[in-house]
Amino acid sequence: MTQGTGKQTAGTPAGAQAAAAQTDPAVRFTAAAKSFGAVRAVDGIDLDIAPGETVALLGRNGAGKSTTISLLLGLNEPDEGAVRLFGAPPELSVRAGRVGAMLQEARAVPRVTVRELVAFVAGRYPAPLPVSEALRLAGITELAGRRVDRLSGGQTQRVRFAVALAGNPSLIVLDEPTAALDVEARQAFWASMRVFARRGHTVLFSTHHLEEADAYADRIVVIDRGRIVADGTGEQLKRSVGGGLVAFDLAGRDTAGLDLLPGVRSLEVRGDRARLRTDDPDATVIALAGLGAIRGLEVAPASLDDAFLALTSTSASTSTSPSTSSVTEVA
Amino acid sequence: MLDYLRLEVRRTLRDAGFVIGGIGMPVLMYLLFTNLGADDGGWKTGSMIGMAGYGAVGCALNTGGGVAEDRAIGWLRQLRVTPMTPRQVVVGRTLTGSVTVLPAIVVVLAAGGLVNGVRLAAWQWATIALLLWLGSVPFTLLGLGNGYRLTGQTTGVTNMACNLGLAVLGGLWFPVALFPDWLRTLSAYTPTYRFAQLGTAVADGHAPALGAILVLTLWLLAFGSYAVLSYRRSGRTV
Repeated sequence: MTQGTGKQTAGTPAGAQAAAAQTDPAVRFTAAAKSFGAVRAVDGIDLDIAPGETVALLGRNGAGKSTTISLLLGLNEPDEGAVRLFGAPPELSVRAGRVGAMLQEARAVPRVTVRELVAFVAGRYPAPLPVSEALRLAGITELAGRRVDRLSGGQTQRVRFAVALAGNPSLIVLDEPTAALDVEARQAFWASMRVFARRGHTVLFSTHHLEEADAYADRIVVIDRGRIVADGTGEQLKRSVGGGLVAFDLAGRDTAGLDLLPGVRSLEVRGDRARLRTDDPDATVIALAGLGAIRGLEVAPASLDDAFLALTSTSASTSTSPSTSSVTEVA
Repeated sequence: MLDYLRLEVRRTLRDAGFVIGGIGMPVLMYLLFTNLGADDGGWKTGSMIGMAGYGAVGCALNTGGGVAEDRAIGWLRQLRVTPMTPRQVVVGRTLTGSVTVLPAIVVVLAAGGLVNGVRLAAWQWATIALLLWLGSVPFTLLGLGNGYRLTGQTTGVTNMACNLGLAVLGGLWFPVALFPDWLRTLSAYTPTYRFAQLGTAVADGHAPALGAILVLTLWLLAFGSYAVLSYRRSGRTV
């Protein structure tokens, strides 16, 4: 699996911790399971994350991402199996200051300034970042004197990020860090996250945004109904699903029979353009060539959306496309 | 932990509701109650202790409101993923309560001495302040018990009810001498009545009665157990 190349970054205080942890993965789940009443939120997860990796935990709402993160942070204990961080139980690793986290649904702490809050959290850790550096990394230097409860949503989120990284932890866990952020705030956030990851820290973030997982993680772990259904790079996930999209101009041609061409799974017509989802783009293109239907021909690999839907499709009978009306499903 | 104490005290003192309701109100009520109507020197001292006690109880209970708020916004959960231990958090919170009762006590006593002309020996002032401070611990524990058990809004209402109910029953607002007999009997068992007794005894120049200390200790144990039980129950949800 791809590992962060910045793992051996010199000059970071995390270096010593990284050396000590070399034999142990940063995160290890062994057949971990957790139920709440009748709901099996995490249903047997095995997962290793090496130090220095940036991993996305991808899944729908309710797939088990947050429970997985609760187990990882020691906020909940698994009913079965085990969770280890750097070879130790989560509580001990948290106590030792190796973990920083940005929890979901946490709101702003009232009546403290940004600097007071970040400095306080940094002070709990054995080898924290200088406060000014934590603020700079999170991009909130100019907010240092402001009250946390008087910031915008995007600013609050970055304060929470600063709180997570203030202790300079080896592992940073971000539970849906960009939920409810606008595009601009989101990009600024990920830029900050990347700088931090490049310093050799292990990063685990959960998201239900496919583009985010693809763009910012070395590795994507897809979770569905409490189980890991795929684990690899964005490229690998797309390849594992295979197939692609073949589009061409109809130029007035009748669409009848197009959905019966080799490999074709579905047909979508938008204006004068036909878009064929296919398991075998080569065979589909050859067949189209035989029909002389290659005007404006375009072949694209499967998108991560396709991969994600294919991986998790067994779980829900939701419509597969927003433009259902013009889609002809084949088989 | 000292950092945590400092942070939480700062947060509490920045709460306008706390400053107005917890410190301003008791002073205002003290000055009103003692300067309207008949002038009675004894009541100026008695009410000073009563209102200082009332302020201290309100501030002590407020600590629980802070805990409920911190649970609701996820701050306690965030602390759980830092190297702080749960014990440090609880002890830090309890100490916060102990510190934040001080302004109310000091300000009401100051109003008594400076505005209402209450005259006591230096040792009496110091001892009254100290005993009221120590005696507020059971109420901090009651507040924490509420805060760890109830939601933010319910905690606010419950604390308010506890504060007013105990203050009136315990004779912090009006002297128990005005109560009918049955109410006075009941009052003798309240923690607030015994709490105020710590101060009135010293103002009269003698040590608090054993009964006061005994009853207050029982309440300390009761509220302490309540706080521990509530805290344990909240352990899984924080």
